[in-house]
Amino acid sequence: MKKTMLSATAFAAAGALALAGCSSAGDDEPTSTATSTSDESTPQDITLWLAGTDTPDALIDYLKTEYADVNGGSLTVEQIGWGDLISSLTTALPDSANTPDVAEVGNTQAATFTTVGAFMDLTDYYDELGGDSLLPGFVEAGSIGDQVYALPYYFGSRAVFYRKDIYAAAGVEVPSTLAEYTEVNAAMKDQGVGGAYLAGRDWRSGISWIFANGGDIATYDGSSWTGSLSSPESIEGMEQWQTLFQTGNVAQPTDDDTTTYSAINDEFLPGTPASSTLAPSWATWTLGDYDEETEGYVWNPETFGVYALPGVDGGTAPVFAGGSNIGVSAATQNVEGSMDLMRIIFSDEYQTMLAENGMGPANLDFADIYAENSYFEGVNAVALEAASNAKLTPAAAGWASIEEAGIMEDYFQAVAEGGDVAALAAEADAKINELING
Amino acid sequence: MTTLAAPAPPGADRTAPAKPRRRRRSSLPYWLIIPAVATLLIGMGYPVAWQIINSFKEYGLAQQFGQPAEFIGLDNYIALLTSAQFWIITARSLAFMALTALITMTIGIAFALLMKAIPAWSRIVLQVAMLLAWSMPIVAQMTVANWLIDDRNGVVNYVLTEVFGMDMLGHNWLIQPLSFFGVAMTIIVWASVPFVAFSVYAGLTQVSEEVMEAAQLDGAGRFQTLRLIIMPIIRPVLVILLLLQLIWDLRVFAQIQLLQDFGAAGERYDLLGTYIYGLGIGQGQFGMASAAAMVVMLLTLGVSWGYVRSMLKEDEQS
Amino acid sequence: MRAKKLGRGVGALVAVALAAIWAFPVYWMINTSFQTPASINRLTPTFFPTNGTLGNYQAVLDDNGFLSALGMSLTVTALVLVVCVAFATLASFAIARFRFRSRKAFVLTVILVQMLPAEAMFIAQYKMLASVSLLNSVLGVSIIYLAMVVPFTTWMLRGFVAGVPVDLEESAMIDGCTRMGAFRRITFPLLAPGLVASGVFAFVQVWNEFALASIILTENEKATLPLWLRDFAQTSNLGVTEWGEVMAGSVLVAIPVIVFFMIVQGRMAQGLVGGAVKG
Repeated sequence: MKKTMLSATAFAAAGALALAGCSSAGDDEPTSTATSTSDESTPQDITLWLAGTDTPDALIDYLKTEYADVNGGSLTVEQIGWGDLISSLTTALPDSANTPDVAEVGNTQAATFTTVGAFMDLTDYYDELGGDSLLPGFVEAGSIGDQVYALPYYFGSRAVFYRKDIYAAAGVEVPSTLAEYTEVNAAMKDQGVGGAYLAGRDWRSGISWIFANGGDIATYDGSSWTGSLSSPESIEGMEQWQTLFQTGNVAQPTDDDTTTYSAINDEFLPGTPASSTLAPSWATWTLGDYDEETEGYVWNPETFGVYALPGVDGGTAPVFAGGSNIGVSAATQNVEGSMDLMRIIFSDEYQTMLAENGMGPANLDFADIYAENSYFEGVNAVALEAASNAKLTPAAAGWASIEEAGIMEDYFQAVAEGGDVAALAAEADAKINELING
Repeated sequence: MTTLAAPAPPGADRTAPAKPRRRRRSSLPYWLIIPAVATLLIGMGYPVAWQIINSFKEYGLAQQFGQPAEFIGLDNYIALLTSAQFWIITARSLAFMALTALITMTIGIAFALLMKAIPAWSRIVLQVAMLLAWSMPIVAQMTVANWLIDDRNGVVNYVLTEVFGMDMLGHNWLIQPLSFFGVAMTIIVWASVPFVAFSVYAGLTQVSEEVMEAAQLDGAGRFQTLRLIIMPIIRPVLVILLLLQLIWDLRVFAQIQLLQDFGAAGERYDLLGTYIYGLGIGQGQFGMASAAAMVVMLLTLGVSWGYVRSMLKEDEQS
Repeated sequence: MRAKKLGRGVGALVAVALAAIWAFPVYWMINTSFQTPASINRLTPTFFPTNGTLGNYQAVLDDNGFLSALGMSLTVTALVLVVCVAFATLASFAIARFRFRSRKAFVLTVILVQMLPAEAMFIAQYKMLASVSLLNSVLGVSIIYLAMVVPFTTWMLRGFVAGVPVDLEESAMIDGCTRMGAFRRITFPLLAPGLVASGVFAFVQVWNEFALASIILTENEKATLPLWLRDFAQTSNLGVTEWGEVMAGSVLVAIPVIVFFMIVQGRMAQGLVGGAVKG
């Protein structure tokens, strides 16, 4: 888990591993990792904060039951809305009387809290909890040097969701390089039958063009971070994105990522419909044909399909990974209870449950279960393929401030509106440099 | 800091009127204000003191998580007052405040006068509509507003396009900062007019019919009656309402924050309230945020000082 | 006289038109709350919920947070409102009717406190409540809300007290009333409209607050309604706003306020009739 470790190789290696551990999923016995400690320890009542309602109720119930079994104490789970997460963690984590013992935090926020010492050092438990099988990029976001503080909790990835019917009508094939993606969409738009839905302010999707060309948001020189949006690679990527935006796109420069989840459904856009959208893997919930009975959208494999965003020279382009980290509060008074819970979370059973519920498991040994999950119609396999290349935002103390200030959104919108990429990139870099080192 | 938290700095009373109208100095008023003073001391004393002290400290996330916070004198204040960003946002907030308060007061007073002049049934219709608008919780207001102006299938764009023939489908109202603040102002005016209208109307009910009739018999015109009879009577209410509108519109927070939650975030869309929140909770610069809060308070006082003073003076003479 | 009647007629029409404008967003909220996601997501808005569904309300009521949030909000708001109006009435009487040492300081404090932005104090307020173990409690949040609304209410009521001629009280005192007795019997009834206006405001303030609540009420079962609604709007179905459900939630959050307003409206009328002392 050195900082130098490349997420790509680790992912690829992990993907190739077929692990025996998952076969124990049906056992009632807790795994060895979950019972290995607390010989005669007293039961502790602990609290776990989860972000939003992303973790399904069944998983929460499992955690509570298991914890009661293993520790004897009771586990309280609070779901903190994503919008309140930073403020609640900021106030509660340092307060030993009221801190949650274990807390989930967004992957882009993990570095901020780790740097200020909000989480307990988990280096000694690292191997026991999954070690090198844990998602490397996320581990890095929760580490300082060789010390690990916050571990991955789950990941999501991005993929291109598309309309098979529109592609067929336009006579185009699924593209195999990034340049082809632009050509295909420009062709469809010329015919007036469709186009890519590229929300102007959705930088989390657009950043793939920068990553694919070898660029990055910021680079670390060992002591400080510097914005690198104006590196030649980043500019090259942004110019490709701009071309796509202007020739093959049907969304507005002012659209944001909230619309990408349903853009290719029927009747979503006035005028030319969107034939593809780049969205997080869980968009399968909201894409599909409308079903009057259940009042929900049902994925229809006849008309809806999914593929990984192709790279510059084929393969897959790196995408931005969503997800979260989890750590033990540095101020907790219940270290043993907290570690019992962490062991349950990183147990084979729980990782399997995550994977089965469509959340990318922290431990990549369980990635196959995630990929093969039939409910998600093969989307996860594509998502995992994309995740093999997934990247994160810079693990810098000031990253939260940059998101707070909306710098990336503004930069992408300005480029979408047709501005000069090099000049805009230099401007954005200046703003990033002001904030990124905290 | 004690002048804020504690109500009685010695000598504060020296401008009290030389000839008190109430002859006896009883202890009754002190008993009357004790509950309110105690409430303020308990609820605000510690936070205000904390804020003042920390505005002079380097207090960031690291300090929140246990690092010792160093006193850095006026550094926070200097950094703030020399930041162009702060002044831009301040100017923006002042403009927003002035315009919003003015529009709210004008419409509110007009509504109250209208209610006084129209048949009861129509007054009740208007009152019910305003009550409904007013009873919308802010979170609900903002959610509904966002739904109304949704770029893709919000009803506002639809009506503008289909009924007025403008090509507004897909227009995002929250991206241009001016448009963003226009939306915010519309919602705030819409939501505050009922309060102003009801308060002014309540004040108007204190104007007795006989006074009005006497004025009319004396040959006073509509406008004269309004200016010479009605305004002086409801003046105390108007003065307070205007001051309050100014204060609230300057420190408006919830509406802007919620509007930002729905898409357009970033400093271009900040007013002072969200700026301070962003500094503190968002970026973890609590010392700076405290300093900013103090500056904003002084600024508010400065802006309204002439007003507050004349009001206090008038109050002394009443 | 005919001109006056005509004027009243025109005025009535104007009032109805304005009422329509002011009520439209409320109507739209209610309209949307009865619609299915399909009709909401259509490009053409549905103006009347003719093929309405109660599914959105079902979804809100099934959300286990709603009822507990309703209880929490009602408790906190009622407590703060009653105490606030009592304290503020007393204080406003003091500053409107008496000259006393430190009066001016008190008035200034009341004004200053309202000018102080609250957004930088959340951390301190958290620390304060944490130190006395009042986080996630009705009492803790009420104490802070009370300090938030008392200055305004005092301030507002002062204007209404000042609007009642002091001569009325003085003549009552000549008739043998004590100072407080005269205030209670003469001025207080005349304050009814002011009490309602400022009390309603305090109510709205407390009912709406979410930023502080989100920090000091972190237990899900202690969340207040605005907090619940905000999370509900943000988290429904992974990032996609379910407008129908959110609007149904908004309607349910607004109903207690409407009920409260209807009640005090009646009281306001009674107060007006009962206290109709011709000046």
